[in-house]
Amino acid sequence: MLAYITRRLVYGLVTLLALSMVVFGLLQASGGGPLNRLRLNPRMQDLIQELTELWGLDKPVYQQYLTWLKNYVTPEEFGLQNAIPIVMVLAAVGGTFLIARYMKSHWKGGVILLMWVVAIIVSVANMNIEFNWGVSFQGGGSVWDLVFSRAGATFRLGFTALFLALLIGIPLGIYQAVRQYSFFDQLGTVGAFLMFSTPIFVVGIGLQIVLALYLEKWTGVKVFYVAGMNEPGYGDLSFWGQMKDTLQHLMLPAISIALISLAGYARFQRASMLEVLHSDYLRTAKAKGLPRRTIIVKHALRNALIPIVTLVSIDIAFIIGGAIITESIFGWPGLGSLYITAIDTVDYPLVMAIVMIIGIGIVIMNIVADIMYGVMDPRVRYE
Amino acid sequence: MTEPLLSVDNLRTYFSTEEGIVRAVDGISFDLAPGERRGVVGESGSGKSVTAMSIMGLIEPPAGEIVTGEILFRGQNLLSLGEDEMQDIRGGQIAMIFQDPMTALNPVYTVGDQLVETIVLHQDVSKTEAREIAIQALDDVQIPNAKEKLFDYPHQFSGGMRQRVMIAMGLSCNPELLIADEPTTALDVTTQAQIMDLMLQLADDRGTAVLLITHDLGVVAGFCDTVQVMYAGGIVEAGTADDIFYNPQHPYTWGLLGSMARLDAVQQDRLHSIAGTPPSVIDLPPGCRFRPRCAFATDICGRILPQLREAGNEGQTVACHHADEMDLKTLAVDSSDRIVKQDEVVS
Ligand SMILES: Nc1ncnc2c1ncn2[C@@H]1O[C@H](COP(=O)(O)OP(=O)(O)OP(=O)(O)O)[C@@H](O)[C@H]1O
Ligand SMILES: [Mg+2]
Repeated sequence: MLAYITRRLVYGLVTLLALSMVVFGLLQASGGGPLNRLRLNPRMQDLIQELTELWGLDKPVYQQYLTWLKNYVTPEEFGLQNAIPIVMVLAAVGGTFLIARYMKSHWKGGVILLMWVVAIIVSVANMNIEFNWGVSFQGGGSVWDLVFSRAGATFRLGFTALFLALLIGIPLGIYQAVRQYSFFDQLGTVGAFLMFSTPIFVVGIGLQIVLALYLEKWTGVKVFYVAGMNEPGYGDLSFWGQMKDTLQHLMLPAISIALISLAGYARFQRASMLEVLHSDYLRTAKAKGLPRRTIIVKHALRNALIPIVTLVSIDIAFIIGGAIITESIFGWPGLGSLYITAIDTVDYPLVMAIVMIIGIGIVIMNIVADIMYGVMDPRVRYE
Repeated sequence: MTEPLLSVDNLRTYFSTEEGIVRAVDGISFDLAPGERRGVVGESGSGKSVTAMSIMGLIEPPAGEIVTGEILFRGQNLLSLGEDEMQDIRGGQIAMIFQDPMTALNPVYTVGDQLVETIVLHQDVSKTEAREIAIQALDDVQIPNAKEKLFDYPHQFSGGMRQRVMIAMGLSCNPELLIADEPTTALDVTTQAQIMDLMLQLADDRGTAVLLITHDLGVVAGFCDTVQVMYAGGIVEAGTADDIFYNPQHPYTWGLLGSMARLDAVQQDRLHSIAGTPPSVIDLPPGCRFRPRCAFATDICGRILPQLREAGNEGQTVACHHADEMDLKTLAVDSSDRIVKQDEVVS
């Protein structure tokens, strides 16, 4: 299995290199030049000079790319503290191996998942590393700082939406499959297609109008805010006050993202559950005389959830990049809105940084998905 | 005569599909004595599996429905039982083995888990005791290293081994009736014989009656006490294995036997099939369902559906208007493999 993961990581690196080259090339080809705007401002001449030197903007494209690449991957700061994440991850890999091999229990998969969540949280909390991703061509701030000041907001929104979508979508799909062709199932199907075919900005703006504007107008109580992440006086509020303020801002954008992925999860879960419900081994389970509940929960669900794992893993990778449209509609200060501005202004250090974060996320989550697959399905072997 | 273990009376199981009502099983009746081995033969689509599923209570509404009939098991009508009571019988008193062992076991649980689950469900034992029973059951079906195999997943077993596991699972609760739906069709020929031997031997040891659905007439001849021949949702002939093989009364039975490869038949160098195809069980014409393919068909065959009546040997029943009148020996296979009367053979 270690050999498998190593090989996947190597493929991943190659993919990322290719991705960076393509995106870098496209940015160069898009024209306009990153410094054009700055040139209009006579006071920026020093900055232009500095950026040109730092990024080698007067050199040929391939040299610019190499400069970027070198800067991107060279850590500026790398403390001894970073040993903790490394040890944590190695321990988790070893633990996974041991548990998968020797633990005999249905909760094996859950235990491994829990272990990884703990390992990753501890790792992130103890990480002390910083890369020189350059300065933004806009205000000249550090790209690294800029990205990480936005990442928190994006994670908050993305994972809330994911949580909502899973919490509702999965049980919905299962219920629909178990009661196939019932009124509820038909309703769910129609609802899902409605959600699919509605553009996200319609959902977002619709929610703003109905749940933020009109709800307040009718009831006189402010339930949801139209935009933003926190009110200006946020810091002075009590803990519960802060909680309330956070939710009042968070729920609308989260719901608009969740509605669409929820529809996807429900459809997918329904299909995978139906397939399992019609399988031979489920017929065997019935023929054994197992009660319906056990058949559904123990025999069907465990199998029907396997394909969802992959879907969710890949979705997590996209969450990392931020929800571009939703963040823009709701004025959410996340990576998505940052990304859009960066593209508009050909701010290529920033664009590259965000694209590569998404790329790295996808590569890692793909590997995670494969590992989870193997944990949940004993037939999968890593070769 | 002893009271039958299973008595099916006028069972009709229909499916509603987009093309219309599929009369998969249409009014069949038969009895099964304790410990009896009964073979069920017939072409594909004749309703053999649906009969088995009906007995097990595995017909799923709304698509499928048992419209009339009685299935008495030890004097109790299974069709009037509630789901809870039926669950006790399924797997406990009536066990079933399916055709494809490759897909019949749940891939994400170990073989031991799946065996123990069944045993705990139907017997009043602890998990530890159930594990002992499971090991014994695997031993009985001659799986080597049963103790370790308990922790293996189904994909680690070959097809034959998986079918052994299914047999172990089916027999682990000492059922009174074992329904085996083409248990060896998916296996290779050498394994087939071993598995069939093993299954019937174990059933014998336990006094378990067996309803064996199969396409393999050789197996029926070798292992079954009684046979019923099914055609388009009905039973066309039933009797002891000897009756059916040495004194068939129905032209369809005769045709089936003719399609059996016989090693001792020197002049018969190829299998002949029965001319024509089985009728669709959606739009059944009135009258005898075999009529379009029958060399003896007359007027009455097109009007009235023949019921099972005694003909041939004692206890042998056949659903044919012309039973006793026909001389099946006059049937022959012509140059284009059709079954015809001998005097009609054009050479
Ligand atoms: N769930 C179902 N829905 C609709 N029709 C069905 C269903 N199950 C069986 N049938 C139909 O019932 C008829 C009898 O099927 P059955 O499976 O009993 O045949 P069989 O004798 O077991 O054939 P085989 O030898 O191929 O297994 C077929 O025409 C089949 O299409
Ligand atoms: Mg069948």
